Amino acid sequence: MSANRWFATGNYFTTYREEQRIFSTHLDRLVFCLFLTAFFVWPFFIDLSTKYMLVLDNILIAVIAVYGLNLVLGFGGLISVGHAAFVGVGAYTVASLAGVIGEQHMLITHGWPLMIIGAGLMGAIFGLIVGLPALRLRHLYLLMATLSFQMIFEWTIGFLNFFNQGQFIYVGRVHWLTGEVGRNEHYLFWYYVLLVTVVICGFGVRNLLRTRYGRSLVAVRDNDRAADAMGMHPGLAKVFAFGLAGFFAGIAGAMQAYLDRGAGFETFTLHESIQYLAMTIVGGMGQLTGCFFGPAAIEILDLQMEHLAEWAGHILPSALDLATGLRPLSFGLVIVLFLMFEPRGIANWWRILRTYLKLWPFRY
Amino acid sequence: MKSLKFTTCIMVAAAVLMMALPVSAVAGNVYKLGLSLAITGPTSDAGNPYAKGVEDYFRYVNDMKLLGDDTIECTIRDDKYETSITKRNFEEYLDMGIVFYLNYSTGSTLALKRDFDEVKMPTMPASFHAGNIEGSDYIFLPIASYSAQAIGLAEYLVRKHEGKTPKVAMFIHPSAFGRGPVEDIEKSIKAGLDIEIVEVVEHGQDLDNTAMLQRWKSKNVQYVISQTVQSPVAGMLKDASRLGLVAGKFGEKDKITFLGAHYTGGNDLIALAGDAAENFYWTTSYIVTSEPGAGADAQLALAKRYGRDDKAANSHNYANGVMVAQVAAEAIRRAKARGNEINKETLYQEMLEMNGMNAFYPVTTVGPVTYSKDDHQGVDTLQLYAVQDGEFRAVGKPFIPEYTEKIKK
Repeated sequence: MSANRWFATGNYFTTYREEQRIFSTHLDRLVFCLFLTAFFVWPFFIDLSTKYMLVLDNILIAVIAVYGLNLVLGFGGLISVGHAAFVGVGAYTVASLAGVIGEQHMLITHGWPLMIIGAGLMGAIFGLIVGLPALRLRHLYLLMATLSFQMIFEWTIGFLNFFNQGQFIYVGRVHWLTGEVGRNEHYLFWYYVLLVTVVICGFGVRNLLRTRYGRSLVAVRDNDRAADAMGMHPGLAKVFAFGLAGFFAGIAGAMQAYLDRGAGFETFTLHESIQYLAMTIVGGMGQLTGCFFGPAAIEILDLQMEHLAEWAGHILPSALDLATGLRPLSFGLVIVLFLMFEPRGIANWWRILRTYLKLWPFRY
Repeated sequence: MKSLKFTTCIMVAAAVLMMALPVSAVAGNVYKLGLSLAITGPTSDAGNPYAKGVEDYFRYVNDMKLLGDDTIECTIRDDKYETSITKRNFEEYLDMGIVFYLNYSTGSTLALKRDFDEVKMPTMPASFHAGNIEGSDYIFLPIASYSAQAIGLAEYLVRKHEGKTPKVAMFIHPSAFGRGPVEDIEKSIKAGLDIEIVEVVEHGQDLDNTAMLQRWKSKNVQYVISQTVQSPVAGMLKDASRLGLVAGKFGEKDKITFLGAHYTGGNDLIALAGDAAENFYWTTSYIVTSEPGAGADAQLALAKRYGRDDKAANSHNYANGVMVAQVAAEAIRRAKARGNEINKETLYQEMLEMNGMNAFYPVTTVGPVTYSKDDHQGVDTLQLYAVQDGEFRAVGKPFIPEYTEKIKK
């Protein structure tokens, strides 16, 4: 590698170890630290409305969920259309326990970090179970298996009394060092908790991809027979990917339940699964940075389309319910356009920008 | 030179002040309200006219200066029947400083129930689910709950039925909205209501109901009480008509008489089911424009004034929207008349005192709106309607179901 680790512009790796570095230059690390600092300190200077704090929190939750889906879809090459159900497993782990032991129970209000990890583990268990068909199935058949899980989840939640037949199950307010987190601090508190979780999980995924398992997952995606011939176990790699995806989804679900102060059936439907899929595709499959861009882009698109559909709903005659179709239309269109013209997602634009900045002004 | 500049500045500032002062002196207070509902997406067929009803009535209040120089500014946002969007809208309204909130769906009302109580926000949803007001001090149902409506229908059929215990099937929406009345009907049966529930069917998105109807026929079901939205009921009625199962008159032997609660009926049902809707019995607390009266005239006049099409003008959900706006405006008017500052606390108090001699009589309902500490259902009175010659016609006088009180004990 170049002697100057601040301004290296080309590929100077001389060992695999160097190639596996998280930050290839010190400048990359510095920029990352600056971004991170900005994300932590901006609330001290900017007074964002509660509405947009909620949007921001939801984006961060989606980022955690998309980490998981990207592992399965982007790095593992396995299709899953039941991701919202895994998120739901996490949310209902917290909510149903709150229903049983009481929403104000210490475990729910004070032991929330444990609950979040527990929900992640529950998601992982379901992920491993649902991933079992991946030992035998691929492509469309695997899609059907994950779709079945989504349907089973919706039916179970919607009909069993234990889950209040899909009606909202309340979760109490959490406690922090300063006492109960009240309504005024709720969204800011969860912003920081989510941000820390996003950073930890992000490093987790990045490190995972540097491990033997991570590399075998990518190898299995590229050619599972070749990976098998090289001594890897494609089946286990796939099942493990589903387990990990379930873990991230479970964590996201638990945090969603805490943020919404409960869980209701409507947040984990097939529509949400498609939305996670869209976030992964638009962000960039198989790219860690795609996990940030995808959720942000889709949430912002969603907001804009909401305004457009609302405006259209007001001016169009009530019999002509065209406005209803605007949102799904835009949604589908964005996915198709990205698949056609930018299959590597927004992450690729980021890569191009970085490459351009690296060369500017002709740093050789 | 400096002094000339200074004088000019002072004169300009004075002129601006003089132009602005009369406006601010005349302009009254602006009371902010919020409504979040499905203008698009699922159930938008009900939400769209509902939103227009709310919008038109508040415009009327402002145009006619019913609150003097004060005005109501009600922001209406589309939530597409998604709880997450409703939550976001509600948070935005709180940032805007609303004093009264109008919500829509059962799911979002249940999900936000704790928030309404925490911020002490008087709230009126478009959902009449009895569970909305359980454990909540700040939610006020506009009219009798779905449970009360279903019990009212059951009581009516018991009164009109000839012969042994009537066999009844329930056709419900697969959600909290649909399931709400089932338990209360069962409680009423235990309390002495003489009907037999043969089957409770949670409908899916089936395009054909032949099997279900034939099964009911084989079980001698004579009445079907529906608690869902219009389209599945219309599908069921069409299939029943094709099979020759629809009763020609109430309780006709070997036929089925179909009945339904608020969101199953209205002109949309007739438009969807056509002739098959004949003899469909429907209950609500709202007036309908096919029945002549002062309420119908007022509703049509309001819709005409603001250029609404016939579909919206004749919708019972337009009346629904007008009514909640009337109640909110009335609470503001009363608080103002007492000389109170208009905020969510004073409006909440006004809602609680809306009973007895202070009951409110909007023209769009068949009975008075009454609320108190223990009563959060506005209009307790129901009216039964039946489709005759393609229009909903009143059947009998408005009534209050008896078993709603009996099952509370």
